[in-house]
Amino acid sequence: MNTVIRKTILALVIPVIIITIWFYTTTYMAIPKGILPTIPDVGQTFLEMLKSGQLESDIAVSISRVLKGYCISIVLGVTLGSLIGMYRPMKELFVPIITVIRQIPMIAWIPLIILWCGIGEVSKVVIIVLVAFFQILVNTQSGIESTPKGYIEVARLYKLGKWKTFIKVYLPHAIPQILVGLRLGLGGSWMAVVAAELIAATSGIGYRMSSARSNMQSNVVIVCMIVVGLVGVLMDRGIGVLFTALTPWIRIENENRKEG
Amino acid sequence: MGEIKQIPKKYIINVEHLNKQFIVDKQPMEVLRNITLQIEKGEFVTIVGHSGCGKSTLLKIMCGLVGYEDGTVERNGHAVVGPGPRCGMVFQDHRLLPWLKIKDNVGFGLGHLSKEERAEQVQKHIDMVGLHGFENSYPSQLSGGMSQRAAIARGLANNPTILLLDEPFGALDALTRIQMQKEILRIQQEQGTTMVMVTHDIDEAIVLGNRIVVMSARPGEIKEIISVSEAARRRNSEDFNYVKKKIYGYLFVDSEDDYEEQYPIEYQI
Repeated sequence: MNTVIRKTILALVIPVIIITIWFYTTTYMAIPKGILPTIPDVGQTFLEMLKSGQLESDIAVSISRVLKGYCISIVLGVTLGSLIGMYRPMKELFVPIITVIRQIPMIAWIPLIILWCGIGEVSKVVIIVLVAFFQILVNTQSGIESTPKGYIEVARLYKLGKWKTFIKVYLPHAIPQILVGLRLGLGGSWMAVVAAELIAATSGIGYRMSSARSNMQSNVVIVCMIVVGLVGVLMDRGIGVLFTALTPWIRIENENRKEG
Repeated sequence: MGEIKQIPKKYIINVEHLNKQFIVDKQPMEVLRNITLQIEKGEFVTIVGHSGCGKSTLLKIMCGLVGYEDGTVERNGHAVVGPGPRCGMVFQDHRLLPWLKIKDNVGFGLGHLSKEERAEQVQKHIDMVGLHGFENSYPSQLSGGMSQRAAIARGLANNPTILLLDEPFGALDALTRIQMQKEILRIQQEQGTTMVMVTHDIDEAIVLGNRIVVMSARPGEIKEIISVSEAARRRNSEDFNYVKKKIYGYLFVDSEDDYEEQYPIEYQI
C-alpha cells in the first residue's frame, strides 16, 4: 500500500508543476488567449465540445480509421512475419527490402500517398498500415524465428504437420513478441492518423486541431491534444489486458521469478 | 534405405553396420562408425561414452529425428524413415512447452485420440510418474525433477514399444537423480517398456542397464557391450565396482592408476 501511495505522489509531481506554471502565466502575465488559454477556458471548451457531440464524432472518425488500418496490418503483418520467420528463402527475399523501407519516416510517405490516394479515407488507412504493418511484421518474425529448435524437434517427434507445428509451437512461442508488435503498432497508428489528419483531411481529431489552429482557438487545440493522449493511453492499456489474457504462463513465470 | 528384411520380431531395435557423418564447415566429420546393436523387448540398455561420441546422435537416428545414409536401422521390424508413435523420447532439457499446462504437455502427442480417451491416457500417465495434483500447473511451476517426470509421462503417453532417454537426469542434482533412477526402474518394470538411455554417468549406466554399451570417443564406435547381472546393479556391491572398473578401463585407457587411487584394491577383481 505504501508503494502505491508513493508511486501516485511521484507520478503527480510533474503534472502539478506544469499546471501551476500554466495557471500562473495565464493569470498573472499578459499572454494572448489565442496563444495560451486559461485552465477554466480549456475545461469549458471540453464540456462544450462534448455537449455538441463534436468531440465524440471527431474521435470516432479517427478511431475507425485506426481500426481499419490496424486490422489490415495485423493480418498482413502476422502472416508475412510468420512466413519470413519459418522459411529461410522468404527471409532472404523480403528482409533486405523491408529493412530499407523501414528507414523512411512515416511523414515522408504522406506526400506520395496524397498524390496517389487523395486526402480521403484510403490515404489515412494506407498511412496507418505503413506504420503498424512493419512493427507487427518485424516483431512476429523475431518471435517465430527465436522458437527453440528443441520444441520444433518435439513437434517432429509427434509427427505434427507444418500447420499444426505452427499453431502449437511457433505461434504460442511468438505470442508475447507479437503482442509487443501489436502494442507498438497501435501506438504508432494512433500517432500516424493524427499526423495525417493534421496535414490533409476533412474530418477527424487531427483535422479539428488543424482547423482550430487556423482560427487561433488554442483552447480547442489543447483539448484535442489531451484527448489524443488519453485515447492513446487507453488503447495501450487495452493491449495490456489482452496480453495478460492471452499469455497466462508468462504471468506465472514472472511471479515465480519474483518469489525465487 | 534398402529393402525391409525379415528379422525376428523380438528385436525392437536392430542396427547393423551404421555409419554416420555430419558435414561441418564443408568437411565431412565421422560421428558413428560401424555400429551394430540389437535391442530386445523389455530390455533396459544404457549407452555410456565421452561427450561428443555420437551417442545422442545414435539415439536420434533410432527414433528417426536424424537421418542416416549407410547401414541398417530398423524399429519394430521396419526400416526407420522418421519418427513414429511407437517410439517415445525424453530429452535432457525436458522440453515441456511453457505455454501448455502439464496435462496438455503430457497429451501433446495424443491429438489423434478422442477427448475422453486422451484425458484418460493423460491422467493415467500423470499418476504413473507421481505428478497427481499438478495437472493444471505450468512447467515453470515445477522443479527440475518434476519436469523430467512430466517429460517421461509425455514420452510414455501413447504407449510406445520403446522409450529413448537422452541424458534425462544429467541436469538434476545428485539426490534427485538417484530418486529419478529408482522411479524410471519402477516404471520400466511396471510397464515393461523397452528403454534405451544415453548417459555420461557410469554409476547410472550400471544401476539402470541390463546391458551397457560402451562407446569410444569420436568417431563413436561400440567398444564393448557389457551384460549386467542383478547383483551388479546394487550400488557399491563388489560386482558393481567390478563393472565400474571395467567401464573405466574402456573409457580412460591411460588413467587406470588414477582409478586405483580412487577405489581401494579390495574392490577390484
